[in-house]
Amino acid sequence: MAVPVTAPQGSLTAAPAGSPPQRRAARRAGGRIWLVFVLPFAVPFVAFYLAPIGYAITQSLLRTERSGGIFGRPRTVFTGLDQYAAVFSDPAFLSGVGRMLLFGVVQVPIMLAIALALALVLDSAVARLKKVFRIVFFLPYAIPGVVAALMWAFLYSPQLSPIVNVLDAVGPRPDFLGSEAILWSIANVVTWTYTGYNMLIIFAALQAIPQELSEAARSDGAGGIRTAWSIKIPIVRPALVLTGVFSIIGTLQLFTEPVVLRLISTNITSGYTPNLLAFSIASGNNYPLAAATSVVLAMGTFVLSFGFFRLAQKRGWS
Amino acid sequence: MTQLWRRRTLAALAVAPLVALAACGGASTEPADGAAPGSADCAPTGGPVNLSFTSWVPGVEEAVTLWNQQNPDIQVKVNDVPAGNAGTYSNLFNQLKAGTAPDLSQVEYDSLSSFRLQNGLVDIAACEGVTDAQAKFVDWTWSQVQLGDDGVYAVPQDTGPMALYYRKDLFDAAGIAPPTTWDEYYQAAKTLAAADPAVKITHFPQQDANWFTGLLWQNQANLFDISGDQLSVTVDSPESRQVAEYWQKMIDEQLVATNLQGFSPDLYAAWNSGTVATWVSAAWGYSTIRDNAPDTSGKWAVAPMPQWTAGAKNAGNWGGSTTAVFAGTEHPAEAAKFALWLNTDPASLEILNKEGGLYPASSDAQSLPALSTGVEYYGGEQIFDVFKAASGEVDTDFTWGPTMTDTYRFLSDGFTAALNGQGTLTDALTAAQTQSVDSLKAQGITVGG
Repeated sequence: MAVPVTAPQGSLTAAPAGSPPQRRAARRAGGRIWLVFVLPFAVPFVAFYLAPIGYAITQSLLRTERSGGIFGRPRTVFTGLDQYAAVFSDPAFLSGVGRMLLFGVVQVPIMLAIALALALVLDSAVARLKKVFRIVFFLPYAIPGVVAALMWAFLYSPQLSPIVNVLDAVGPRPDFLGSEAILWSIANVVTWTYTGYNMLIIFAALQAIPQELSEAARSDGAGGIRTAWSIKIPIVRPALVLTGVFSIIGTLQLFTEPVVLRLISTNITSGYTPNLLAFSIASGNNYPLAAATSVVLAMGTFVLSFGFFRLAQKRGWS
Repeated sequence: MTQLWRRRTLAALAVAPLVALAACGGASTEPADGAAPGSADCAPTGGPVNLSFTSWVPGVEEAVTLWNQQNPDIQVKVNDVPAGNAGTYSNLFNQLKAGTAPDLSQVEYDSLSSFRLQNGLVDIAACEGVTDAQAKFVDWTWSQVQLGDDGVYAVPQDTGPMALYYRKDLFDAAGIAPPTTWDEYYQAAKTLAAADPAVKITHFPQQDANWFTGLLWQNQANLFDISGDQLSVTVDSPESRQVAEYWQKMIDEQLVATNLQGFSPDLYAAWNSGTVATWVSAAWGYSTIRDNAPDTSGKWAVAPMPQWTAGAKNAGNWGGSTTAVFAGTEHPAEAAKFALWLNTDPASLEILNKEGGLYPASSDAQSLPALSTGVEYYGGEQIFDVFKAASGEVDTDFTWGPTMTDTYRFLSDGFTAALNGQGTLTDALTAAQTQSVDSLKAQGITVGG
């Protein structure tokens, strides 16, 4: 974004050409010209980001009271942190968070390890058809999440899936949608979708490594694997940290895959993930509790991703 | 892909982008502090009137076109939307808060109370022709739209009286007659499983809590009780426990399929392959089987719902809609007039039945030609005779709570545990009871006894 913001400004103020009135006009406009560049960002940022967050926080401090019978007149009253107490005492919320932590601890490292391995292979001298593979690996990310989930739902289906039928023929019949397996079936969809995306970030970082470093390593007698381990991976650590943060955020916000898979699985409850829980509560018109759940989820996401980032900085990973 | 599966899929598609909204409380509108009182009088505004009408009945446009031709002064525009619980109700609630709601909308019986609670409904009792129309509808549908007092909050549209769809060929092969009691149904399940262990008598749909409430309805297990200003929650009652314990036994003895979601491609595959032998379902379910199990054409039949006591005649009801006039309309009289016409006019009812597959709430319309002839898929049997009888056997006292979305959700969550062997259906009732009380409190409702 830096390029389009600075370039036209520079051409307006620094251009020596043009007649004097034009230049004066440009200078006058220059006083406020920054507004033109800031507003397209600032207005949507305030309207669609800050305002909703502020509104959600406000909502989360309220509760509904009703006077005049069951269908009487409702009014909202300030209730302090009661809704937050309700969130933390909701077993569905706690089990949803626990489930996502388990999910993240297992899925994120596996996904990033695969992404790193793919990026290193693409970056290595021996790889052929690099451009083709780069696109092929990235392709799942280009498929909308709902479509990907629907496709996998078909592949998991106990009655229709070709995979289930093949596995059934060679061994015990797999149950991808069972209560134990379903979490990892979701993890598989997420891994399939986002590995290529993370790979691309890591790959871009690998591309930025100066040729001389690799050459120096080679002339010191380091092989491909040794170069990757001792030179490339340490250099792309910041990219790994970045993809790690993205993945943690993505995990806590998991929503699409469970929503789609519950069309065919009997094992996804309304609070399977915290995000799904907030949505379910809002569907029942309990906006204050839904808002509190969302705020807690957002804070949790912030603390975890920022905490991971700080840890990485302290350890000198980034 | 049936309509329901498609609708649910569409719902998932529609819901996914909402994640951002949900994350900020889903709240983009002001809370409605001003209650919308029922209109005491209901005078026509006169002059040309334009009304908007939200509905998801397939082919409803045709009926509305007919109305528009006959009523140049009251022009109705239809918004075709996904089914209520597939996101439309959430939209409508938000539109009501924002003051942009349509004049009329399709609302299912179980959601009327919720809309009334959110000040969404107009009491149209005073509008011309409304109270007189009572005689035209099946008794219980009228008590459903009265919501426990003297008002009339919607006009009944269609119903879902329940019966037993069963694979006649499988029952014949096993030498069993269609079960008349739930005990016989249990014995039939065992006999079928003994003949072929792959065959389950039915599936237990985890998401279809409203299917389960249809079973509760049959057993007079009233979920809520509203009398005056007193609301009590009776989700966990001796009657509901009887139903829960029965189905728990079916789950425990592995007589029902626990891994098939309702309206899923997997269920349809199981129907086609004959591994699921019955479906206790509503009148509208006839097309669900017909359209999704084409391989078994001529093999299904319909019998009355099994009874808890031999010789009793009680039916449950699953689904069915009303046409409700929404708060905020400037033309309640015209809106009520249209709602009455849509659901009582013979031409309209014929269109709704033919195009939308609706089983009418109007008593006369239950004798429509299409509902009094044999249905080819069901071996030419007049299956609607069974549903017509069932419609007359539905308990009139069954009451929905004003937070049914939550109650259904709690039940479904409990079903998951029961289907996994991590709990029982009775546990699901107990939990849904407590959680429903909390939901009502969150809406500022005092729950009594």
